Order: sequence, then C-alpha cells, then structure tokens
Amino acid sequence: MNSNDQQNNKKPIGAVAVVGAGIGGIQASLDLANSGFKVYLVEEEPTIGGRMAQLDKTFPTNDCSMCIISPKLVECGGHPNIENITCSDLIDLKGKPGHFTVSIKRRARSVDESLCTGCGECTNQCLVRNRAYLDVQMIEPTLGEDEKMAVDEILERHKENRSPLIPVLQDINGRFNYLPPPILSYVSFKLNISLAHILRVATFYAFFSLEPRGKHMVSVCMGTACHVRGGERLLEKLEDELGIKSGQTTEDKKYSLEMVRCIGCCALSPVIRVDERVYSRVRYNTVMDTLMKY
Amino acid sequence: MSSLALKNLNEIKAKGLKSLYPEKTKIAVGMSTCGRASGAEEVIEAIQSEAASLGLDIIVTPNGCMGLCQKEPLVDLIRPGWPRVVYQQMDVKKAKEIVAALKENKIIAKYILCKIGEETHLLENALHRYNLNGLPENMEKVPPYKEVPFFGKQQKRVLQGCGNINPDKIEEYIAAGGYTALGKALGELDPQGVIDEVTRSSLRGRGGAGFPTGRKWSFCREAPGEPKYVICNADEGDPGAYMDRSILEGSPHQVIEGMVIGAYAIGAAHGVMYVRAEYPLAIEKLTRALDQARELGLLGKNILGSGFDFDIAIERGSGAFVCGEETALIASIEGTTGEPRQRPPFPAQKGLWGKPTNINNVKTWATIPLIVTRGADWFSEIGTEKSKGTMIFSMVGKVKMNGLVEVPMGMTLRELVFEVGGGVPDKRAFKAIQTGGPSGGCIPDSLMDLPVDYDKLAAVGSIIGSGGMVVMDETSCMVNVAKYFLAFTKDESCGKCTPCREGTRRMLEILTDITEGRGREGDIEILEDMGTTIVDSALCALGGTAPNPVLTTIRYFREEYEEHIKNKRCPAGACKGLFELWIDPDKCIGCGQCLSNCPSSAVSGEKKNAHTLDTGKCIQCGICREICPTNAVRVK
Repeated sequence: MNSNDQQNNKKPIGAVAVVGAGIGGIQASLDLANSGFKVYLVEEEPTIGGRMAQLDKTFPTNDCSMCIISPKLVECGGHPNIENITCSDLIDLKGKPGHFTVSIKRRARSVDESLCTGCGECTNQCLVRNRAYLDVQMIEPTLGEDEKMAVDEILERHKENRSPLIPVLQDINGRFNYLPPPILSYVSFKLNISLAHILRVATFYAFFSLEPRGKHMVSVCMGTACHVRGGERLLEKLEDELGIKSGQTTEDKKYSLEMVRCIGCCALSPVIRVDERVYSRVRYNTVMDTLMKY
Repeated sequence: MSSLALKNLNEIKAKGLKSLYPEKTKIAVGMSTCGRASGAEEVIEAIQSEAASLGLDIIVTPNGCMGLCQKEPLVDLIRPGWPRVVYQQMDVKKAKEIVAALKENKIIAKYILCKIGEETHLLENALHRYNLNGLPENMEKVPPYKEVPFFGKQQKRVLQGCGNINPDKIEEYIAAGGYTALGKALGELDPQGVIDEVTRSSLRGRGGAGFPTGRKWSFCREAPGEPKYVICNADEGDPGAYMDRSILEGSPHQVIEGMVIGAYAIGAAHGVMYVRAEYPLAIEKLTRALDQARELGLLGKNILGSGFDFDIAIERGSGAFVCGEETALIASIEGTTGEPRQRPPFPAQKGLWGKPTNINNVKTWATIPLIVTRGADWFSEIGTEKSKGTMIFSMVGKVKMNGLVEVPMGMTLRELVFEVGGGVPDKRAFKAIQTGGPSGGCIPDSLMDLPVDYDKLAAVGSIIGSGGMVVMDETSCMVNVAKYFLAFTKDESCGKCTPCREGTRRMLEILTDITEGRGREGDIEILEDMGTTIVDSALCALGGTAPNPVLTTIRYFREEYEEHIKNKRCPAGACKGLFELWIDPDKCIGCGQCLSNCPSSAVSGEKKNAHTLDTGKCIQCGICREICPTNAVRVK
C-alpha cells in the first residue's frame, strides 16, 4: 500500500500498513521503516516470522534460514518505527492510495503482552497444547494393492525398531529401486513422521534416490586409489558411451550411472560395480564390454 | 562361567579343529570382496566341478582375505602330509590344473606364492605344525611364508584370523582360540579388571583419533544413566582404506567377542554395529556370525552362564561419509540426518538416546580379545613409546604389492613402502604417500624415514587415521590430489556449520581454477588462510581436518602450485590442458602398445621403431603413459 499519491491535493499520510509478517513482510517493513515511514505490521499468527523460520536451508544458496531471518526478527520486533499487530485479522480497507483506513480485529490473546517475555514455559506446561494436531484428520494415502502389501510387509519387519525410518527407507529403496513419493506419504502416515522429515532424511543420504533408476546400477569407484589409477577416466568414458551424466539414467531405463566413494577394493583399482558384482582392474578400452554383459 | 558352558565350548573346539585341519585334503578359496572381484566365485566353482569330475574326495570351502589383494584370487591347499600351500592369481584354467595335479599327488610350483609350515593361534598362543611327512616334488623350491617380502616384515596380530579361518563357521574361530578371552573376562576378571588390563596395554583408538581406549571405557562406565550402549563404528568411509571390511568379512567373531567383553566391562546391555551400505558382504557375514553366537549362548541372555545379558543389532549406513563421526553416527541410528553435534557432552555421557555410549572402531574391538587373553604386557611389548602394538594399513595406489599389512607401530614409511610394498612399479619415481584419507596429508620423500605412529604423523601435518595409505608416483599431481580430496569433503560436508560448508566449496573453486590454468597470484595464500580458519572453526573432525590435504601439499610441494599458477604448467602431467606429452625415442622400443590403445589415434610409428605422438591430436588422457613398459612417454 503505497502512500505516495501525487494527483491528490491532500498531503499523503507517512504511514504504511504491511499485511503478513513473513520474511517478505518483515523485509518490506524494515526497508520502509528505515526510510522514515511508520509501519503497522499485521499478522494473523501470534508471532512474526512465518514459514522461513521453519525451513532448514534456503534455495539456491543453501544458506541457513535461521541465520538470515533471526537478526531481522530482532530488528523488526524492536524497531521504533514498526508497530507489530499480531494475532489479528484485516477486516476492512477503505479510501485511496495515500489515505487508507484499515480496520483490524485483534483476537483475544489472553496474555498480557506488556508482561510476557516469550519464555515459552506456558506452552511447555499446557495440557491441551497438542489438541490442534490431534484435531487434524489424517487421510490415509491410497496405494496400489501390490505396493501396499510390499510396504506393509517392510513396515511390519521394522516395527520393533526404536527408529524405524532409515531401515524402512532402505528396504523401500531396495524393493522399488527408488523412493516413490506416494509411498513416502504412506510411510509418513503409518509411522506418524512428517513428510518434511522423511524428505530431509531421504535427500541427506546418498543411498536414496527420489527418481526411478535403471535396471542396472553402474557405480564407478572414486576412491583415492582408483583416482590415482584412472577412475575418473573410466567415468568419463562411461558418460560418453551411455550418453548420460553421473546420477542419471539412460533413456531405455537400462543403466543408471553413479559415482561411489570407495567400495573398499582399493588394491584392485580402478574398480566399477554393476549391481552387486565388483569388477577389478577395469581398462578404459574394455569397460563397455563389461557393461554389455548385462 | 558355568562348567556346562565350558564343556560345550570344548566340544565345539574339537569340531572346529577337525574343520580347520581335516583328515581329507581341503581347498580354501579367499572369498572376500577383493577375491570375488578378481573372480573367486568362478574359481571355487571350477575347483568343485573339476574335483567332482575327477572323482576326488576333497573339501572346498570359502576363507577370508590374507591381505595380499594384489595376488587375488588366493587359493589355500591343506593336504595331510604337506605344508599349507598358497596358490596365487588363480583363474578357472589354473584352478582346474591344480586340482588335476592333486590327483597325481603333485603341486604346480609356478603358481605358488608360498608355503606355510606352521601357524600360531595367537588368541591362545597355540602353535599348529603341519605334518610334513609326505612332501611332493618341487616343494623345496617354494618360498616359505616368512621369506615373501610382503609377509616377512609383517607381524600379524589383529589380522591373524583373516584368511586362515572360514568366517561362516564359528567352530573354526573357536578352534583358533576364539571366545577364550570372553571366557576369561567373564570367569576370572571383574569389569574393572578388564578396564585396568586394557588401560595398562595403552591401546589407543584405531579409528584415527587415537584416544586411549581404557580411559574412554572408564568414562562411560562411571557415567550415570541406564541402559548404556556400545557401538562398533564400521562406517569405514575413508577412500583408500578397507581393513574394517576385511576384518568383518574374514573374522567377524573377533569383533563380536571384543564388543561383548567391552560391554561387560562398561556395563552395557545393548550393542549396535553400524556398517556401511557399500559393504553388503560384510553385513551378510556379520548377520550369520551374530546368529551363530546367539545359538551358542555367547550373546543374548546369561552369556556363558555368567548372568551377563548383552545383544548386538546391526544398523546399515546409507551412504554418508560424515556418519563415521561419532555424534553423526548416533544421530543416524536415531533415524535422522547424520549431522554432528557439539561436544561436550561426549557420547560417554550423553550418546545414543541420551544415554552413556561407548563407540570404538572395528580394529579396536578386534584387538580386545588379544589383550584379554595374552595380557597387556604382551600387547605393549612392541610399538613406540606412546603408540603400542601393531597398526593395520591398507597400502594401495602406485606400489607393487597392494594389500593390507599389519606392522608394529614405529616402522618407517620407507620400510613400509619399499620393503613390504616392494616400491613403485614401472620404474617410476616415488613422489609422496597420502595417509589418513581425506583428513590426512601428503608426506614427501624427504620425510619417508619417519617412524609411523599417532604423534609423529600428526607432527608433520598428517594423521594416521584409519590406516589408509595411498602411494603416489611422479605421474600424480599434488594440486590435483588436493583438489580431489576437497571435492570429496565438499560433497560429504553435512552442511550444518558454515566454515566447512562454505569454506570447502570456496577452496575447491580456487583449486579448480589452478588446475585449469586460471590460477592467480595470491591464491596459495588465500588457500592457506582459509584452510587454517576452517581447521580452527569447524564443528566436527570432518570439517576440522578437511583442509589437511591442501595444507600439507602446499607445505611440501609449494613449487608445484607455483608452476601451475605462474607458468600454467602441470609438471606431473595430470591436469588437462597444462602439459604436453612426447615419446622419448631413446627409450621407446616400438612395442606398439600405446598406438593400439590410443583413443584419439595420436600415436604413429612402425613396430620396433620409435613412435611419435602428435600433440595436436592428443587428448591428454594419459593411457599411453600408463601402459608404456619402458616409461618412454614423458611430459615436455
């Protein structure tokens, strides 16, 4: 809401209302407040910060999101030109640019804001604090019958495990050759672990793939011994011959190519592994013959 | 230990001895991952089918790895009246020949690596002498085990079981003295007594950091909190090191026995083995070994009738190098991303599920049974002042004899590479040895007389690490090697702390620029500055040691960096675009190997005349250089 209106004879009011105190709203408020405007920052949640504070990293630089947002939260919270109106809804907006009248309804917070230090102790002690989560009706994602049976069997196998997630993902990855997203939703429902956490684990470990892989997994060892004995050259050759890059799958879905960090056959380097079989002392000129066996 | 349990063990031992040294001829094939990769599966099949077709009544079994991976597949022949004979580099054809020779009571001397007249079962200090009353002809020509240079200087202790017993049979491990240490610990020592013995032996953690094991155990024992956990760290991620895999595949019970003893000493009720996903065979062997141990009452409730309960579960890793770090490993077992956390509190106070936890490496656990049966004095009689016992190294790269070696601490690097390893092949010059994987450094020729132990290697900027040693010759470019390790740590950085996540990335960019001819004055200083900052500020050991390969190569091979930056030239001939190859006509014998193998047809020449290389066509892949038998392909 820009208050700068040149066509109106009345002098525009030097105050701005920003609706939504996510990272965008906070940044806008700070920029405006630092340029001398009075800012009313309206937010429906009880706190400012929005989604960003819940993220691990930001795209595309992989920077830590908390590191970016927390100084801004502090600044926004204490800025003399910003008035934070949280736990509130925008009811009505009247007027023209430069002369808006905004109606805001503040919901009851039942806590004296002037005294609250935000220590969080009441949230910890509250007996009904998880009610909100319990009220949400989780709907069981639907899977094909075969898939469901296979996944249920895997889940059953690890039900005694105190932290079943990784073993379950390993078995799913082994059974389906990758982690199909519908199955992950199903696992999330069954294990009562958020999908965000499952995806975080699935993308952290190199062993898991979120995309379908080829029939045969070709892994080129990039260990030190293989490196000094020409492992990289083998990878280049395979990339050229198969027409794909490491981490990709050929169009006919026959081969997937990947680098692996040391298979532990260093004395026989350079080595490649096709599915479970390890081939030692692989030569540049004959590496494709090995693949052709499959 | 109850007398019933003892009687049972003795019965199993008698059975095991019959299986180890049967009355019939036995052929054992090395079936670890390296054996399989060299074709051991085909060899064992060929032996079985040939023996069947010739009507020979022999036993054919799999074995672990003897350590000389270069000569795999290795085949052991144990025939009553003969010494044990080790055949090397077997294939289907040779395997059939040796079986056929057996029918005529002969050996084929040209395929034999060595003969073994006696072997010691270290775990109980028992000597087994082979009966030598029916020697076949030619046997005197075969070198004895100790005269093979690769074995002669070694002192096998922890590895003594690998390659000598069938890892699938618990009775063979028991026959070789296995589980006597457990019997002694549970029967004769109290938990504090075990810890005292381990402390007195001065054993230091074999995973790389070298923390005294006895002290670590007593911290965990004294820490309040129940239940306590012990963990075996088998997430052997260092590229170039594979001894943990070899031990798990060749003698899994030794690790299990060590863990049970450790759990008894610490007071732990649960054990976890965290094994890399890349080692499926090791997981298979371990699973079987755990089942066997449970069946015999060596694991589970009331172990050996002593009232002590303990069991071990296997957790598979999922391909993250950082999970070798103890706090990251614990996070991974707890089902989340393997990100390290700040220490203290150390795992000994707050580890798995917030309870006191003791983590040791595979080699450390495998050493424990030896210390308990043979005593701390026996263990610490070899080694250096602050590093006792033996150390296992995987010596790989540009060295003649690739394989696993176990030598006393304090042997010099020169002895290791040139005597045990046989030196650099193909008449090339030795350049450096890289120890400790991505956390270690490169040590130049001038420091090769350094005795190897934890502190000496740390003093020159490297670490002993988990024991990986990669030998590099004149064709390895040190800048390129540093770049390789940085690329590794950049990929494997978990991203939790900024110095490691951003620092390794930026250092890699600079190194990539240098190796691609875009290096600028001042780059070396930036690398040094960033490197030391990361060492000081990273959260965990992965980040804190990540710059080591760069810092040591700058320290010992600075002129190589300068040559890349100032003259845009790679003297080793490894960085594409920064060198040209030529064929030295004085050395070329015109064998034509380079010509037939060149992918870009850049080599021309007649047979038996010196060849020439067209630098315009050359794609600098380096294949000709690698295969040239006379080292005639040179860098200009």
